[in-house]
Amino acid sequence: MRAPRPVLATATLGVGFIALPVVGLLQRTPWSSLDDLLSRESVIRPLLLSLLVSVIAALVTVLLGTPLAWTLARVDMPGRRIIRALILLPMVLPPVVGGTALLFALGRRGLVGQWLERWFGLTLPFTTAGAVVAAVFVSLPFYVIAVETALESSTDDLEQMAGTLGAEPMRVLRRITLPRLLPAMGAGMALAWARALGEFGATITFAGNLPGRTQTLPLATFLALESDPEEALALSLVMLVVSLAVLIPMRDRWLPGRRPEQ
Amino acid sequence: MSAIHLAGTAHTGDLELEVGLSVEPGETVALLGPNGAGKTSLLRVLTGLLPLSSGHLNLSNHATDIPEAGVFVEPHRRPIGWVPQDRLLFPHLTVRQNVGFSPRSTPERVGQLLESLSISDLAAKRPDECSGGQAQRVALARAIAAEPEILLLDEPSAALDIDSKHLINSLLEDHGDRATLLVTHDPVEAATMADRIVILENGRVTQSGNLADVRTRPLTRYAASLAGLNTIAARATGNTATTEDGVVVVLGEPASGPVQLVVPPVAVALHRSAPDGSPRNVWEATVTELQPAFDRVRVVLTGPLPIVAEVTPASVDALSLAPGVTVWAAVKATEISAHPA
Repeated sequence: MRAPRPVLATATLGVGFIALPVVGLLQRTPWSSLDDLLSRESVIRPLLLSLLVSVIAALVTVLLGTPLAWTLARVDMPGRRIIRALILLPMVLPPVVGGTALLFALGRRGLVGQWLERWFGLTLPFTTAGAVVAAVFVSLPFYVIAVETALESSTDDLEQMAGTLGAEPMRVLRRITLPRLLPAMGAGMALAWARALGEFGATITFAGNLPGRTQTLPLATFLALESDPEEALALSLVMLVVSLAVLIPMRDRWLPGRRPEQ
Repeated sequence: MSAIHLAGTAHTGDLELEVGLSVEPGETVALLGPNGAGKTSLLRVLTGLLPLSSGHLNLSNHATDIPEAGVFVEPHRRPIGWVPQDRLLFPHLTVRQNVGFSPRSTPERVGQLLESLSISDLAAKRPDECSGGQAQRVALARAIAAEPEILLLDEPSAALDIDSKHLINSLLEDHGDRATLLVTHDPVEAATMADRIVILENGRVTQSGNLADVRTRPLTRYAASLAGLNTIAARATGNTATTEDGVVVVLGEPASGPVQLVVPPVAVALHRSAPDGSPRNVWEATVTELQPAFDRVRVVLTGPLPIVAEVTPASVDALSLAPGVTVWAAVKATEISAHPA
């Protein structure tokens, strides 16, 4: 289909709006000293930590989010709309507020945090685990939306069919529901991972900014911008490359827009 | 001891289903009725996908769905095999995995069913690689592999090729004690496969009995339309079929081998003189009997083809129809359907 000219023009503007900052970043990147910058520990440590935190957060999101999305899509229960609104809250809430809320709930003197410390000796704030918690908090809604939408758009005819063949509900879930849900789970996981990788506000508020423990790439970049702009550019480039490396192979199979062939 | 004993009501959409139905072990019952009569909903009641709102359902003598007593057996605990009209094969599993899906199936039984329905070659393929007839055989094998005591078939041979029909029919003939409830709109299928027919209209059973009962004493307009269908044994080659009396009939669609020709009585047009125009099948016949059938009159004819025509009372007057009168009967080729016998 040929796009009407005003639509095409505005769409081009949209692409430019995204591409321009990337070009700006590439243009200012100190390519000659890049080798040296990238081998610095102040770059490598946040990179490894960010990968660790975002991957664990994405996995936790899948574990928590899949049963949640299934329940919201398939179980008739009172207050479903309220629960759904609550789950979407971290998408809307400023991450700093999210981090503050986490601090008062899971902090050392928090609602649950004090018991975690007293009973299990577990402290979340200012630990890598805390950074994971902050990342899960902000990325869970992205995963739940992707999976719940997929579940709602597919009818449960096949699940009912499996039931009449004598399959217990757990077997139906394992053999029918989950295998058919894999593409949506992959898409949701990619979105959740991307959100976790970029997480800043909740992390710095709840987990702090400790190099090697909670200082992820976005935190390190923000700090380097003050002290060493060249390092900030190198860190930004690293995040750009990591993001593209993950998103480009996924875009056909898992990201919304183009459906895989049935 | 009944396989199915149902007396209850259920609601779905605008339809209220209020049905009494019993099926004995080993019995095959055909469920006929117009579109929207509730045939598929009735099957869903039996599977447990549509719970009763009142009344009771027993399957294999076990209380299965009695809302007043709080009894409801979940679908996966019912002794039922269901072949839905749209088959609902699992698209992400192979044919063999589909057929062996039920935890009650065994690999031996699965292999045997694949063999007897000629789908062994497809075992490693996915359902979207199967033709319609093959998919129907897979769906049937999957239901039977679960060793059900009650088999529910929803339009099992709608739009099937002849080979698939033969394979499915011969598998279903060997049913032992298994009860079968067969939803169909095809009276020939009902007559050939079922011991008894039940007619469902607007959510209620309007008539039950063997086809001969329904034929001689139709209780509703729909039953009359079923009962009145002309069936003629013939042998088809291409676009023509030859009856046992040697009469050649032109068909709308090619067929081959022994067939049952089905001609709806309303498709038989009567004329006082030889008609010209499109009908390919025209012959002279003698009226032997006039039978009132609700708002119509059924005209029984003898001649090359013993056939019944259904006309309005006005036509009876206009054509001066009476026993002994000779008329020209005409049937368009497209109105004659050939079903493999």
